Amino acid sequence: MNKQKHYYAVAGLVVIGTIVSYIFLQAIYPLPKAASAEAKTIDFMFDVYFGLIAFMFALIMAFILYASFVFRRQPDDTEDAAHIHGNTTLEIIWTVLPVILVIGLGVWGALEFRGLVSAKENEMVINVTGQQWSWSFEYPEQEDIVSAQLFLPVNRPIVLKMNSEDVLHSFWVPEFRVKQDLVPGYEQELRFEPTVIGRYKVRCAEICGKDHTTMLADVQVVSESDFAAWVEERSARPAYADLTPVERGELWYNAATGDWAGCVGCHSVDGAVRAGPTWLDIYGRTETLTDGATLTVDDTYIRQSIQEPNAQIVEGFNPNIMPQDYVERFTAVQAEILADEGVEIDIIADLIAFMQTLEE
Amino acid sequence: MGTGKIILTSSFTRGIIGQAVFAALGIAFINVIRAALGLEATLEPGVVFGALISVIGFLLGAGVFTDWIKWIGGQKTPLRHGTPAGKPEWSRYLNVDYNHKVIGIQYGITSVIILLVGGIFAITFRLELAQPGMQFLDNDAYNTLFSGHGIVMIASILLGVGAMVNYLVPLMIGAPDMAFPRLNAFSYWVAVPSAILILAGMAVGGWDTGWVAYPPLSLRAPLGVQLFLLGFYMNGFSSIAGAINLLVTVATMRAKGMSLFRMPIFVWAAIATALIQFTATQTVGVSLTMAVAERVIGLNFFDPVGGGNPLLYQHLFWFYSHPVVYVFVLPGLGVISELLPVFSRKPLFGYKWIALSSLGIALLGFLVWAHHMFVAGMPNSLRYAFMLSTMFVAIPTGVKFFSWVGTMWEGKLSFETPMLFVLGAISVFLIGGVTGPILANVPTDLHLHDTYWIVGHFHATMFGGFIFPFFAALYYWFPKITGRMYKESLGKLHFWLMTPAFWVMSLGQMSAGIMGMRRRIADYDPALGVANTQMLVTIAGLVIGWSVLIMVYNLVSSARSQEMAAMNPWRSRSPEWQIPSPVPEFNYDVPFEVVGDPYDYGLSDSEYIRMMPAPSGD
Amino acid sequence: MSAATAHHDEAHGHEPSYAQQTKSNRLGLWLFFFSELFLFGALFAARFALWGNTRPELSQVLGLIVTSILLVSGYFMYRAEVAIAHDDRKTFLSSLLAAAFLGIVFFVGVVILEWNVFGLELNAFGVEWFGRLKPRDGVYGGVFFAMTGMHALHVLSGVILILFVWNNGRKGHFSPEQHWGVEATALYWHYVDVIWVFFYPALYLIGHLA
Ligand code: HEA
Ligand code: HEA
Ligand code: CUA
Ligand SMILES: [Cu+2]
Repeated sequence: MNKQKHYYAVAGLVVIGTIVSYIFLQAIYPLPKAASAEAKTIDFMFDVYFGLIAFMFALIMAFILYASFVFRRQPDDTEDAAHIHGNTTLEIIWTVLPVILVIGLGVWGALEFRGLVSAKENEMVINVTGQQWSWSFEYPEQEDIVSAQLFLPVNRPIVLKMNSEDVLHSFWVPEFRVKQDLVPGYEQELRFEPTVIGRYKVRCAEICGKDHTTMLADVQVVSESDFAAWVEERSARPAYADLTPVERGELWYNAATGDWAGCVGCHSVDGAVRAGPTWLDIYGRTETLTDGATLTVDDTYIRQSIQEPNAQIVEGFNPNIMPQDYVERFTAVQAEILADEGVEIDIIADLIAFMQTLEE
Repeated sequence: MGTGKIILTSSFTRGIIGQAVFAALGIAFINVIRAALGLEATLEPGVVFGALISVIGFLLGAGVFTDWIKWIGGQKTPLRHGTPAGKPEWSRYLNVDYNHKVIGIQYGITSVIILLVGGIFAITFRLELAQPGMQFLDNDAYNTLFSGHGIVMIASILLGVGAMVNYLVPLMIGAPDMAFPRLNAFSYWVAVPSAILILAGMAVGGWDTGWVAYPPLSLRAPLGVQLFLLGFYMNGFSSIAGAINLLVTVATMRAKGMSLFRMPIFVWAAIATALIQFTATQTVGVSLTMAVAERVIGLNFFDPVGGGNPLLYQHLFWFYSHPVVYVFVLPGLGVISELLPVFSRKPLFGYKWIALSSLGIALLGFLVWAHHMFVAGMPNSLRYAFMLSTMFVAIPTGVKFFSWVGTMWEGKLSFETPMLFVLGAISVFLIGGVTGPILANVPTDLHLHDTYWIVGHFHATMFGGFIFPFFAALYYWFPKITGRMYKESLGKLHFWLMTPAFWVMSLGQMSAGIMGMRRRIADYDPALGVANTQMLVTIAGLVIGWSVLIMVYNLVSSARSQEMAAMNPWRSRSPEWQIPSPVPEFNYDVPFEVVGDPYDYGLSDSEYIRMMPAPSGD
Repeated sequence: MSAATAHHDEAHGHEPSYAQQTKSNRLGLWLFFFSELFLFGALFAARFALWGNTRPELSQVLGLIVTSILLVSGYFMYRAEVAIAHDDRKTFLSSLLAAAFLGIVFFVGVVILEWNVFGLELNAFGVEWFGRLKPRDGVYGGVFFAMTGMHALHVLSGVILILFVWNNGRKGHFSPEQHWGVEATALYWHYVDVIWVFFYPALYLIGHLA
């Protein structure tokens, strides 16, 4: 075979290799659904980079595999191969071409990135607080609603102003593609615009201690009108006197009002284990405590668990997770309601009433 | 002397006893002082002080300081040589020995043992990850295991690098030993108590911060994190001392005629590695000591509550920990460059370019650290700058790849086990490398940061840049080290099990990452659709584990066989293959002179080295 | 192999000559200094990251005094090295002691006065003789104690080295031709001095009072 033929053969292999690798990459690397405006830009970059990966990989591997098969040594051949030292022209070419390529990539990345982080018109601000191991969202433009779920109107640019209470966390919704760490003491911003109605999850992406795994929060992207309805429901202060304790308990649980993150942040009602025990079937349940003792969950125990969260910890859970200041906050809200509506309300009793309804 | 007695009186045993005694003394000392000052008893300060001096205890017990202490007293001490009288040859490896080959082998064996330990951690938590839901670990155990896995593996790599550099460089440049043999012993021995500290940290409560130990989390993590930080820190002495020793050795002890561009290419890799190690290691040392000090004496650097800045830690940490990834790979890439010409029977293509690209990678490596912090809260201007600088690393690395292709092209290739591992290394490092620029590009990194994509990326770079070449080196120089041949069939079996398994593992990890799997989680959401991939990754991890065990069996059993290997089985031109195996105590009985280029395969009657006539007067 | 080593036995024949070894030692020492530059550089960087253009309130007089003491001790170290090169053993030994003594004074000045480990108070000649900054005083305490502490550790080890050299010198160990131990200690001492020349303004002079 003459030399030229080798090169043609490898060129063919590179082309085939690139196409096959590219298809393979697309198949095994499916990006999650693209649900933000940013995702479009970023996904396009992903495609280009996959192409680059496929090409670079095929380029080198085609030569190496080809050489391995075609230039193998015959068993009885003890002669050395041709004495070729190198080739300065080639070396310069394969230094300079990649230089141009990476400068191009760098500039392109910078331009796109500037677009991603620049302020948009009509942005809606949401304050995000992360703490071990829950999220809380506050809507300063919507009468300071506090929510454990992130509700977002579709097609509205959002800017999150994020703070952490304790350690580093990271806000990430894979479907939105963008990510930003939360740094205690240093407010961080993150911009994106949700474009697809649906339910997603915030997944804390920075190791933040024991329960980093379960530091999740629900995200709901809803139509503008649904968002308005949600805001109204959350911000219109209900007349507590008209509600049953169970209804009120559910409100407290979701933190529909009051200035605390809801119990929902750590306790599920569907049996899922979060940072705290689930409330499903909690009332009357027998629990084993960390010190090995067992008890039945009743009013006294629930009351104590809220007033002194660290006193008796159920096995498998940790002390110092639950905020210790619920009593103060509850007292303040109760006083406010007494002032507004003239009714005396016991928030903990409401919660107990709510819990009693949570049976399978 | 009986075997038992030799082991019981060895430096290892004495070191461990010394470490235990000093740890106990340290703990007692602090608590007595605290009691005297009327402070309440707490565990942590004592443990930290105890850990700190326990390393000294180990070194004293092992006898690493003996000669230096005598020097301080003004005594001169001759360098001990050879096997001590009345003891078997193998006892040298359990004791403080100043011969670079012994030290290199000590490094190598320790590295493989530590690799197995880290691998067992990986296998354990991989079994947990095989299915969604928590099976047999809890969050704390999971966190400790993956954090321990990360740092133990990194320690294993650093030891492996030490093994290759120590054993090979003096042989390759024609030196009888390293420039500072006692310092060399120190470099190895200080790594042992450091590793013990890290493992002890896992035992006393573990920690949940990953191998990076970012504050404020590391300021609140369980006690184990202190031992981890200190162990990591102490290990730094090993790197710094070893690197300085290497640089001096290469600068002053090359054989006659060995100009810089006539050195075997591996030596260039070793130089580049040492340049990183002896500088950058200091900054991570500062970040780690600051974290320790913030925890035990309340100095404030990182906790924002007192005005500190968590990002400062990240900058100091990555200023070392990015360059250190090139410490992991440069020696490995050097092995690839060293072996390819031998198995291709063709000169190394573009020797100077490859040599200088190692320096290029090492120096560029200092300018890119903040690409680990793209979402950490840095100003945008820094994100642009580090995006561009990071991409530039692709260029010198590319030069190496293209030159390797050039070396193989039209060669006469043969595929013994070392060559297979070299080719495996090239392909695996390639996929690891080309998955780097997509991380350097900030918009795509916003999605990929802290996902399993990263996990896939760095396992590929570290396996391709270190594990595969290290295994290649073990097989290739095994006949040099032991004088015996490994079993080719088992070597091939190792390769053909490990390589496909590794591809499955690494591609699987990247796939899970892109689909939304975060790193450092004990359990994952089945809704992500990554459960099958995770199962595959676990199976692949097990296969890799078994294949490594095959290698261990192969090397151990072959070393004990009686059959001797040929003197130069690979027909290499490198100087170390021109002398008997195992290498005599002082390497070259007669010094050699370099009269040609190292890789002139195919040039008839070219010579690389010529043994000089024996010195007169003997 | 030179004639001077010809009488050595087989094993010693592989050991480098004093001159050869000193050449290596010297290079190694300078590499070590370069390495330590990154240690001090990192502390320096931390100071600017955390303090920016501010500084804590420290006693200027005290800073100036300890700095001068350290510089003067450098002079004595230099004199010791010159003395041994000229085989002037008396000056050699006395200069070493002077350098070590001043080093100890510097160390004590930092630890007792500036750090004020015993929590004393004295106002004389219009100068506050004991520092008030505490380790737990936020980032000011942190950085100040980290930088002075790391430097003091080097001073302490330098003093110990000098005393070892003095002890060996007393026993007549060094000669005009062979005194690498003295040279290394002197270099180290000057290096630690020079570091302080950078630390001092960073801690005491740059920036406005916080
Ligand atoms: C041996 C280890 C090693 C090596 C060699 C590399 C090499 C590279 N790495 Fe990797 N990296 C790690 C180990 C390594 N990395 C580790 C351990 C982490 C995670 C740490 C942690 O968080 O725990 C990490 C994380 C990491 C990040 C941070 C991601 C994040 O956390 O968000 C980034 C971002 O830029 C990055 C980029 C790169 C790049 C650009 C290279 C380049 O050097 C690659 C260069 C090589 C090539 C590109 C291939 C060959 C070149 C050609 C064929 C020429 C032409 C090619 C082009 C023009 C594209 N790496
Ligand atoms: C050289 C470095 C190195 C090596 C070789 C490996 C090897 C392996 N790694 Fe490692 N890994 C890291 C360095 C390395 N890793 C680092 C730095 C991290 C980051 C940590 C952090 O986030 O802080 C990490 C993190 C990491 C993760 C992410 C954890 C998380 O984020 O939650 C995973 C998950 O799959 C993983 C898997 C594996 C597996 C399966 C192997 C296998 O290849 C292991 C194979 C096993 C052996 C080589 C040992 C031989 C086997 C035995 C002795 C036992 C045999 C027994 C049976 C088979 C039953 N590693
Ligand atoms: Cu919060 Cu991870
Ligand atoms: Cu990096």
